[in-house]
Amino acid sequence: MKLDPAQLQRLGSLPIKARVIVEGALSGLHRASVRGSSVEFAEHKEYSVGDELRHVDWKAYAKLDRYYVKQFEQESQLTVYLVLDASASMKFAGGGLAKLEYAGLALAALAYLVIQQQDKVGLVACGDRGIETMVPPRARSSHLHDLLGVLDQLMQKGGTGDESPAEALGRIAELSRRRRSLIILASDLFDPDDETIRALGNLRAQHHDVSVLHVLDPHERTFPYEGLTEFQALESGAKLLANPLAIRKDYLARMDAFVAKCHGTLANAGVDYHEVSTDRPLEETLLELLVSRARLLPGARRDAGRTG
Amino acid sequence: MGFIAPFMLIGALAIGVPIAIHLIGRRRAKIVPFAALEFLMATKRKTARRLQLRERMVLLVRALACLAIAVALAKPFTSCERKGPQVTRGPQAAVLVIDDSFAAGYLVEGKPWIKRASDEARRILTQLGPEAEIAIVRASEGAEQPTELTRDHLRLRDQLLALEPSARPADTTRALTRAAHLLSASSHERKTVFLISLVAKSGIQADEAAWGKDGPTLVALDVRPSAMPNLAITNLKVDSDPGTGTRGVGFDAEVGNFSDTAQKVELSLTIADHVVARGQLELGPHEKKTKRFLAALPAGSRASDASVSLGTPDALPTDDRRFVRATLRDEVRVLLVDGDPRTVRHDDELFYLEAALRPGDREDSGTSVRSITSEELAGITKIAGKPATINLDDFDVVVLANVAALPPERVAVLAEWVRAGGSILVAPGDRVDPTAYDKTMLALMPQSLRDPIDTTWGASPEDKDSRALHLVKWEADHPIFAPFSKDAPELADAKFYKISLLGPTTATSDRKVLARFTNGAAALVEASIGSGRTLLFTSTLDRDWNDLPIHPGFLPLIQGAVRHLARKHALGTESDHLVGASVALPTGDLRKLEVRGPDNLGAVFEGDRIMNRSSVRYGRTEKPGIYRVIGTDQTGATHERDELAFAINLDPRGSDLTAASASALPASGTGGASAPSDNTRRVELWHALAAIVLLLLLAEGILVQR
Repeated sequence: MKLDPAQLQRLGSLPIKARVIVEGALSGLHRASVRGSSVEFAEHKEYSVGDELRHVDWKAYAKLDRYYVKQFEQESQLTVYLVLDASASMKFAGGGLAKLEYAGLALAALAYLVIQQQDKVGLVACGDRGIETMVPPRARSSHLHDLLGVLDQLMQKGGTGDESPAEALGRIAELSRRRRSLIILASDLFDPDDETIRALGNLRAQHHDVSVLHVLDPHERTFPYEGLTEFQALESGAKLLANPLAIRKDYLARMDAFVAKCHGTLANAGVDYHEVSTDRPLEETLLELLVSRARLLPGARRDAGRTG
Repeated sequence: MGFIAPFMLIGALAIGVPIAIHLIGRRRAKIVPFAALEFLMATKRKTARRLQLRERMVLLVRALACLAIAVALAKPFTSCERKGPQVTRGPQAAVLVIDDSFAAGYLVEGKPWIKRASDEARRILTQLGPEAEIAIVRASEGAEQPTELTRDHLRLRDQLLALEPSARPADTTRALTRAAHLLSASSHERKTVFLISLVAKSGIQADEAAWGKDGPTLVALDVRPSAMPNLAITNLKVDSDPGTGTRGVGFDAEVGNFSDTAQKVELSLTIADHVVARGQLELGPHEKKTKRFLAALPAGSRASDASVSLGTPDALPTDDRRFVRATLRDEVRVLLVDGDPRTVRHDDELFYLEAALRPGDREDSGTSVRSITSEELAGITKIAGKPATINLDDFDVVVLANVAALPPERVAVLAEWVRAGGSILVAPGDRVDPTAYDKTMLALMPQSLRDPIDTTWGASPEDKDSRALHLVKWEADHPIFAPFSKDAPELADAKFYKISLLGPTTATSDRKVLARFTNGAAALVEASIGSGRTLLFTSTLDRDWNDLPIHPGFLPLIQGAVRHLARKHALGTESDHLVGASVALPTGDLRKLEVRGPDNLGAVFEGDRIMNRSSVRYGRTEKPGIYRVIGTDQTGATHERDELAFAINLDPRGSDLTAASASALPASGTGGASAPSDNTRRVELWHALAAIVLLLLLAEGILVQR
């Protein structure tokens, strides 16, 4: 069952919403259940002094009368940075969820999924230049609680400021200079100077995996307004009195060009780009992202460990 | 323009509604917080001007729509003249007045306009139906008119089919008057005049109303072409031009431009069927100019036909040519015999006579004069044994002014010369003794003289003028009096204090009194003697007995008398007549006179029609051109009389085709109780306005959708 984003908003706390989203998405993959450990058996070796006794395979000793020790292949741990654009433009809500809420829910679901896989997940938010919101990456399950708490706060607060995600991405680049990370940005990319797109390109150049959820409201894509309307900018406070009918065609052409530019530029840089409308079920969004980022899927780790 | 429901115009205030909505709408705009405002701003900047213009157009269209709805609801209407005749079938009286002036030959699309008029008239004839009593009245001047209405529509139709332009100008007012007279005799209630005319201003007398309020209904058909420019030769005069030579003549052709644009015209002068000169004229709108041509008449002829025509015929070719008879003036040789010569010039008997015969003593006066005394008459030829000092054959006319009775042998010589064709003018004076004249001079006199009477004898100087006699009752048709009107003051004002009375009878058979005084006494008597003629003036030719010589009539009277005696009447300008004119032709010694028009039709005057008449009148001058006269004299010799030929031309008034204003026509009368008298009809405009509203709404929709 897929939930409308607006209906989802009525479900209790953020962790529950995140779980519902993840389970909805995974049910879409037709997987029966969630598999457990991330530590995988590799081979046996004869016991020698110093080996941990708990790894002795007693069944093999019973059969062969010799001590064999189980050896396990330790999986490399994934670090995921979730970047939330919490600027004022993200609080725009045409009719359903605000872009910020949609982006927050999507990132919460991702955080839940990552923690479930015992990978590290961190959160960086941007928008208000005065406040630095940073949750360092951890893999503990208790960390999920903290992270979702911060996310919840951000969503409650609503979007403020006009700081672009570029600075946050720059910080992540510094933090994860030695370790390859997966960076997932949820933003409307309304950045007059294209700094965000350049920053994403830089991260990709550092061999990080980068995904972008380009969150747009349906009203921004269809411009359904009629009658004389005064449009007020959310970030700059500028105003514009216009007849929407008169400018719709031109506006839509500009918006299409903007989306096409974002898609084209990021795809060329190797960034995984997803245009997301806030009226789209979050499970679908998540699933699309998961499919494109197969490493995040439960069970994919084992295959990756064997091959890697 | 008027309104059926004018109070609905209050709705025009609704024009304020879209304006108010526009203004309020700006204030009540929805406020939408919007993230992608940058995209909007870029769009808006680009289209701001276009949008503003479109918004204003939308506002204008909406305001106009509101206004048009209000005006349409008020049901506006306007009035216009009814087009076409109001022809109602049924019993009625109607007159078709058709313009058949020469202007009706105006070519419209290659066909004479009168054909169109005829077609229109026949259409009306059909529509009126067989019960209508109808007459056709032609609007040309002097046209024969019907005397009653008729139901013989077949005959009327034939008349219409045979209708041709006449050579006369239009007289629309008279035709309408005639139509009203015909209708007034009808017992029908409905009386209508259908006017099918070019309605030229020249054909309408604004001061003459064709009918009053009770007159017939007038239906003026709009059959006049929108523009009728015309060029015409409106006058042509000829006079002698001694500067060009003895045969030189000058032609003054007046050309009229009856159009609203300047025209350049080419003219050509034709003499005896040969084009002898060409010229050009530039004429402004509605301007007349005169072009003078100088030419010499062909050798061997004293008179020629001449015409001036336009080089390129216009839409009305009839008036593009004008005719004239060009005649060289024959010099009259006059021998003046002075019976009372004086050393003081102005006391001399011939002082005024010589001045009248040779005004200014000019070579071109047409008269050569030789003056002698009565004593010198002894030297005239054919006196036995004496050398000839004066040859009478060198003269056409001898004037005996106050000459005492001549000896019988001299009278015999003069009488013989007169019988052979010479002419003599006798005027008495104090030297003339009637008794002596009776003895010797009767052979030269039309009538015997009696003692003169002095009407002022015994009168005080102040009563002298009131008792003086005056000339009255002159023969206006006689060539001598041709230059004078019937009551010419230049003759009638002259005072005669003393006149010679005449004896009761004479032997001459064709004696004729040409003029009389107020007391009934003869003033001028003419008689034929053989082939010659004699003229007796019963007062002096100087101022002894009268003051005629100081009156303007003296010169033309003396000139006319002398030229008449010399049988030389031709003067170019006198031979110019308009179509329809009655032309007086002097008969002279002719016993038969035949006139032939340009179409070779004419009339013959002989027997009683010419006998004992000094002139005859010819009136069948319906065609412009040269009319020739063929005369048969007493000897039976028949030959063409060049000096009597005359030219007939169109009346130039008819060439001005300027349209008369509608008000110049008589107002349409009641024409009977049931006659349609309202020439206007109401045209409702709200349908058109409703269509405009729909168009405006459509435009508004398109503008809003864009």
